[in-house]
Amino acid sequence: MRLRNHPILEFKEQRVIHFTFDGQDITALEGDTIAAALHAAGIRTLSHSLRRHHPRGLFCAIGKCSSCLMEVDGCPNVKTCLVPVKDGMVVKSQDGWGRFPSATSRKDYQRKEIPTRETDIAIVGAGPAGLSAAIYAARLGARVMVMDENYLVGGQLIKQTHMFFGSKDHYAKTRGIDIGTLLRQQCDELAIEILTECSVIGYYHPHELAMVHKRKLNHVKAKAVIIATGASENMLTFPGNDLPGVYGAGAIQTLMNVYKVKPAERVLMVGAGNIGVIVSYQLLQAGVDVVAVVEATPKIGAYQVHASKLVRCGVPILTSHSIVKAYGNESVEGAVVAQLDNKWNIIPGTERDVAIDTICLSVGLNPASEILDQAGCRMLYIPELGGQVAVIDRNMETSVSGLYVAGDVSGIEEASSAMLEGRLAGVAAVQSLHGSSPQIEKLKHEIQSGLDALRTGPFGEKTRIGNKIMTEAAS
Amino acid sequence: MKPDTIICRCEDITYQDVLDAIQMGMRTVTEVKKAIRAGMGPCQGRTCGRLIAQIISQETGKPISEVWDSSHRPPLMTTPMGVLAGGHCDEE
Amino acid sequence: MKHDYINTGILRLTDFQVPPPERRRAGRVIMIECVQNIPCNPCSTICPQGAITIEGDITNIPVVDFSKCNGCGLCVANCPGLAIFMVDESIGDNSAEVGIPYEFSPFPEKGEIVSVYDRSGKIICDGEIVRVRNPKSYNKTAVIYFRVPIQFSLDARFIKRKADKAKTPIH
Repeated sequence: MRLRNHPILEFKEQRVIHFTFDGQDITALEGDTIAAALHAAGIRTLSHSLRRHHPRGLFCAIGKCSSCLMEVDGCPNVKTCLVPVKDGMVVKSQDGWGRFPSATSRKDYQRKEIPTRETDIAIVGAGPAGLSAAIYAARLGARVMVMDENYLVGGQLIKQTHMFFGSKDHYAKTRGIDIGTLLRQQCDELAIEILTECSVIGYYHPHELAMVHKRKLNHVKAKAVIIATGASENMLTFPGNDLPGVYGAGAIQTLMNVYKVKPAERVLMVGAGNIGVIVSYQLLQAGVDVVAVVEATPKIGAYQVHASKLVRCGVPILTSHSIVKAYGNESVEGAVVAQLDNKWNIIPGTERDVAIDTICLSVGLNPASEILDQAGCRMLYIPELGGQVAVIDRNMETSVSGLYVAGDVSGIEEASSAMLEGRLAGVAAVQSLHGSSPQIEKLKHEIQSGLDALRTGPFGEKTRIGNKIMTEAAS
Repeated sequence: MKPDTIICRCEDITYQDVLDAIQMGMRTVTEVKKAIRAGMGPCQGRTCGRLIAQIISQETGKPISEVWDSSHRPPLMTTPMGVLAGGHCDEE
Repeated sequence: MKHDYINTGILRLTDFQVPPPERRRAGRVIMIECVQNIPCNPCSTICPQGAITIEGDITNIPVVDFSKCNGCGLCVANCPGLAIFMVDESIGDNSAEVGIPYEFSPFPEKGEIVSVYDRSGKIICDGEIVRVRNPKSYNKTAVIYFRVPIQFSLDARFIKRKADKAKTPIH
């Protein structure tokens, strides 16, 4: 089902496209990814699992979880959440490993040579952090190249229909989707090269990357690299967690706010942090019922203003509650929730059955720091920052000289801090190329004070603690 | 937790499989991976790594920082063999 | 428990600044239901009257000078947290006018009778739509004014059109 009207999203005329799924004709709209088009057609089961042949649907919708692999035009294991549909595409559900690529699809891989692309600063990730880094580095005269796996630019900004907090300098009261557009425009004005559908698959010293762009291997040579790969959504262990219909909250947000697909009828949200509460509210805006938000801890993690705007719409936030199990045959048909005691044990007799067709998990994010570990950066597990992060200095530089980080990959925070970190990494990377100047020092100082200001108050405490642990470890 | 709860979606590894691996003496995420393939599928442990670390931590009493090790290497993302192998094309 | 909104998401009148009764009877005035130190300041920068101030750190809580507020409603549409409301007890007839930020479609129409909800999501009364303000400068957060019996003037926080299907949450 598609959304027909929405208080925030704008609807543009989109060309109708036809493709087939397991021989069945599917009508899609130009701009849909394969997975989004299938969801719009009511198809949630995309594959069957390797050994147990359980039905599987997508979980993350941003290319991280690999739960959406399908056979596309004879090529197996295609991440269908990343690939846009094309007229006449032949899409098949995949069982296990899939079949050997067809002769025609093998042709896609053929090439004369591996091209080398040279740039001053290579940036991995085109979200708020990566784009901000690119803009600030380009303004200081550096040649930059941005790469992103998705075909749309803007990272997670493109689905944030709510207004952002902060001050004017952080685009306060601007909706995330509009910030994404603004950053994109600034990049265009600076003629910044942004490569989409582009996976960086390896880092090699010094500052060389192996990159796959539309099924072709590329070699990138840079003088500095900024990693702004963001984060992936955490899974939760409960029976039935692999059923189609169990999604990361961000995936639901992508389907609904980017592709305008009505993703569900009745939802149970797990986790009352900002993402869980915001996505619940956005589900209501899309005309979807949210039966409740359950939160295992006794406290709501989201900003009170977000919690208030959801609760007054009639959606209860049940703290000290958790999901016990999900059930259903091909897809989620219901769940059991229960109250927890202060040792996280289920209080007997509090189990309740809820009839729903979708479960959204918003139980935290995990920094997508794999490439930093692979590059040999000194890593630390810091729970306050969300997981494994690279040890960095005040300039966002890792233990590998000239390799910088920005955004959620350096510790889970808000998009406003991701943008500031991006700016800082961009400026610092230019400094590493051309040396310092009063202008650079002034810029860095301004951005660093901006970051410190964002992190005052109780909601900045986690980051402050995390950064302190890091500083102590670094010295 | 039910023993057949899925922990690693890519490789269809269950909670019981992970417990068995711990029983066998595996003490880190990498050791569990080598014993039972959890985290060796297309997502390379992005979905299950944390869950396995939590289970090991619960079962052994060790903090997550000690059991959640990592050994990332290229290719970092699912990459078709054809991309790496390439092959010569005259028409291009 | 003092801060039980952290467990329920439901604020009480004692959690924030409420305009005094004589000010409410004098005409439209805002209520800012923003109780946590979050990094945010558009309310204070947009107010043409200088009625809202955030002293020092950007994470400090906004403070309203109710005598300066003229009830223009700009801050209601510009608060990213949708946490500012309007109340007017000057209209007599034992009713009050309440203004809320509203981001659902379609909008209710003038004169329409809607269900009115309190902070906990409970229906407390019916309300009559008086005005729907949605100029371009509000950037898709409309401000909807509706009339309720005066005893609900401080609690009416959300409306639903009666045509919309009744939701069935679990409690």
